[in-house]
Amino acid sequence: MPVQHAVETTPSLGAQTPRGFRPGEFFERHFGRLLPLPAALTIAALIIFPLAFNLYMSVQAWFVSSTTPPEFVGLKNYLEIFGKDARFWNATWITVKFTTLSVALQLVLGLAIAVYLHRDFRGRGLVRTVMLLPMVSTPVAVALIWVIMFNPSLGILNYFLTSLGLKPLLWLGHPRTVLPSLILMDTWKWTPFMVLIIHAGLQSLPLTPFEAARIDGASRWQVLRYITLPLLRSTIAVALMFRTMDSLKTFDTIYVMTEGGPNNASEILNIYTFQTGFKYFHIGYASALAVILIVFVFAVNLLLVRLRERSWSY
Amino acid sequence: MELLVSGRQRSARKILVDIGYYAGVVAICIPFVFVFYWMVLGAMKTQVQNTASPPLFWFSPTFANFYKVFVANQLLTYIENSFAVSGGATLAALILGLPAAHAIARYRQRGVAIGILLARMAPHLSYIVPFFILFQKLGWIDTYASMILSHLVITLPIVVWIMIGAFEDVPLELEEAARIDGCSRWRVFTRISFPVCRTALATATILSFIFSWNNFIFALILTGPDRRTLPVAVFNFISGDEIDWGGLSAAATLITLPILLLILFVQRHIVQGMTAGGLKE
Amino acid sequence: MFGRFACVLIACGLLLSPTLVGAASFDWQVLKGTSIRVMANKNASGEAIQALVPDFEKLTGIKVQYETFTEDQYRQKVLLELAAGTGSVDVIHTATTQEGLKFWKSGWYEPLDDYLKNAKLTDPNFDLADISKPAIRGNTFDGKLVALPTTQQTTMLYYRKDVFDKLKLKVPETFEELEQTAKKLNNAEEAGQKMVGIVLRGKKAAATSQWAPYLFGFGGTWLKNGKPAISSPEAVKAFDFYGSLLRNYGPPGAVNYHWYECISLFVQAKAAMYTDVSNRIFFFEDPAKSQVVGKVGYALFPAGPAGRRPTMEVWSMAVSSKSKKKDAAYLFVEWAASKENVLKMHLKGAPSARASSWKDPKFLTEQKHKDWIDASLKSLDIATTDWNPPVLAVSEVRDAIGEAIVSSILGENVKAAADKANTEFAKIMEKTEGK
Repeated sequence: MPVQHAVETTPSLGAQTPRGFRPGEFFERHFGRLLPLPAALTIAALIIFPLAFNLYMSVQAWFVSSTTPPEFVGLKNYLEIFGKDARFWNATWITVKFTTLSVALQLVLGLAIAVYLHRDFRGRGLVRTVMLLPMVSTPVAVALIWVIMFNPSLGILNYFLTSLGLKPLLWLGHPRTVLPSLILMDTWKWTPFMVLIIHAGLQSLPLTPFEAARIDGASRWQVLRYITLPLLRSTIAVALMFRTMDSLKTFDTIYVMTEGGPNNASEILNIYTFQTGFKYFHIGYASALAVILIVFVFAVNLLLVRLRERSWSY
Repeated sequence: MELLVSGRQRSARKILVDIGYYAGVVAICIPFVFVFYWMVLGAMKTQVQNTASPPLFWFSPTFANFYKVFVANQLLTYIENSFAVSGGATLAALILGLPAAHAIARYRQRGVAIGILLARMAPHLSYIVPFFILFQKLGWIDTYASMILSHLVITLPIVVWIMIGAFEDVPLELEEAARIDGCSRWRVFTRISFPVCRTALATATILSFIFSWNNFIFALILTGPDRRTLPVAVFNFISGDEIDWGGLSAAATLITLPILLLILFVQRHIVQGMTAGGLKE
Repeated sequence: MFGRFACVLIACGLLLSPTLVGAASFDWQVLKGTSIRVMANKNASGEAIQALVPDFEKLTGIKVQYETFTEDQYRQKVLLELAAGTGSVDVIHTATTQEGLKFWKSGWYEPLDDYLKNAKLTDPNFDLADISKPAIRGNTFDGKLVALPTTQQTTMLYYRKDVFDKLKLKVPETFEELEQTAKKLNNAEEAGQKMVGIVLRGKKAAATSQWAPYLFGFGGTWLKNGKPAISSPEAVKAFDFYGSLLRNYGPPGAVNYHWYECISLFVQAKAAMYTDVSNRIFFFEDPAKSQVVGKVGYALFPAGPAGRRPTMEVWSMAVSSKSKKKDAAYLFVEWAASKENVLKMHLKGAPSARASSWKDPKFLTEQKHKDWIDASLKSLDIATTDWNPPVLAVSEVRDAIGEAIVSSILGENVKAAADKANTEFAKIMEKTEGK
């Protein structure tokens, strides 16, 4: 086999270069560390800078409406957030409610649909395309269409309800129904994501347990409960992890549909932070909220990653 | 038991069961498609038709809304901006992310991997105040520079995430053979690993582009009239004297249309990409 | 002798000099070729000026990039751009009696007094005295005039004249009559169209400014002795009245109604009455968009126990202090507030802030709705300018008070909501005033 003459030659073990520093060789030896360097630097800039900045601003008080500069106030913002800010606790609770209910609903529906569709049928590609539509559509655009559909007097949803003999709802127009409405919309958008992940998981399952079960005469229900679900554990864990991670980042749809209203009934932490910073212009306070938000999100994500790792060990 | 049933009865039953199954499939698909159907329908109605009670399914359509949105609201500028920003951010993500993904896959650069994960986790909220103040100081508000840089937070993690799995899948023998032949590591990367991952690359590019295109919050804060992107444009669209449902629907249609057309052609890639990174590692 | 002659000479000189200097050196085209950027709210005032921008471009040779946004977004966008301090905007459309204090304290307005005295930039026919005194007062901070008013709106009652005539109803003059009429007309049908008794703004902060006339009508105030007073018995009555009107005789989902939704409902002939600022005539009588052209009656805002207390809202154009083209920006501001321009706006239904417009013969013949003229003038006479709480953190306080309004609409405990809003109000003031 002819030897390829590369421009840089790989140094043989133990060889010492007689003349100081040779770039090609340096690059080869530290390839693994140099390669990701541009990305690492970018990430450092994109992560470390904002985090540091948020931390720095969070210990200042700066109400951008005066010509006075920010003033250092230590932990005052944090103390106020945890001690005196009812709206913060409301936002935290709403965030928890929204994320858990959405993700749970999406998981259950996603599982059901994925299992139902796990069959060789004609038009599978078409169905997959249909499933993708909600996921990839621009959130702001579809959110506004949902607002139109949710309209209590003219919207199509109430029309459907009344046609079926049910009472029309206020949807986004009442604190009690606003969160379920938003969860409905979020479920519509992201259930396909669950379906796709679980579908991929189903594809990769071994066939033997299923064949054995069929021979033993197990019912469809029993197969699902005792074979499919346990085998899908790690897939489900992954799906949960991703979906929760993304759900905690929700902002566009809720902001555009309700801006956190009515009366903060749908104000997730993201929106509360945004309003504080960009509507009321309390930049210092908003930065403290941002820091708390980041810590909260990281904690939840860490928990999920742990959960996922545990799902492997069995 | 089944042997007692005649052949013809069995196939008739099978057909019924099949029809029942397909009906179920259709029933599942309907809710997901309906919203888009309603959106396009609304875009073709006049204001009077849009506010009719009960809602109209059958009416004579008009294209005036599309015309109005395109012409009166300079949609072309915003389309250009969206393309420029998403294209730029995706390109930058590829340039930075491909080497990084390879390094994580083959050279166990855990630190970078964790950094990427953190970038993906952090809510965009945590970026906007620092970015706003930074870009304001630099005078980069309402420019492509600030938009592309901030969108890297979206595109880089996607590219790296998908490509890690792809690079891991490249058969080690291929790479080792090349090394034995005397290829430098860089050559292995560019000549061997990279071409093998072409499909995953396509997936990463597409998904990265889509999520950047859809982003709202960075454009909301960092752009003005010159560099505004489509999502913010559609948000601004609510007309002053009445809620222009037809115009809004038309604008929404025009924004989602490019993406929907894109996925018609590349749905397989997207499905792979969305599920790939998840099931590995 | 020489001294006396000199005096006469000097006197003549002084008498003649303004006219000599003024007449010779003002030219609209003095800054031809520049370009400026204007940001405006998408309301009657902003849209009326937008339609007339080509006139300005022709007059001055200055190119204008005029951008409008819906109200909530406008407020935020303008704040963002001014806070960014990059000089990206030259002229801003501003409601000085809402955000003026905040903008002034942040140093975002360019004081216009010197520009007005500058003969090169100010048309001698500008006639500042013609502009309404309360409007000028509202635009003055620390003795400096920061913006030139174009539009002066006041609270008004809109009603469906055709329905009232048919059912032989009297126009409500008091709050009780308002409620009774709303009750009677709720679910009434006209020409196959069902309507609600009354529509009002219900969306938190947006509702606060239109709730104010009700607050004052019941005898309440924003502050008493410098302290928040919106949990007073009068204020609670106002919350209760406003909320129950909407809850019982208003549209479903009213808590999401900004003025865009209210107008939408009214022009679709789905509401019998509506109270809001007087520029709605701009929308209601537009045959291209309204189904109630010619069917609308215009009346004074009804009286509460403390009398008729409508408010007055002034919209002006201001020059951004960070603008790099202040002179050109000033020309725009001046043009917008000029007699001719304001009259044109006035004819369309964006109520003028100049006395001359209301007396103009063309206006008096063209404006067919005499009841609108009558109601506007009478209302402006008695209106107050504090349609928003007079504080720095206006946005936050409006939200806090708006929450109580929303609670009332939803039928929750009004006294508790009012107390909560009052405490919040006090907290915000403590955090931000005097900073």
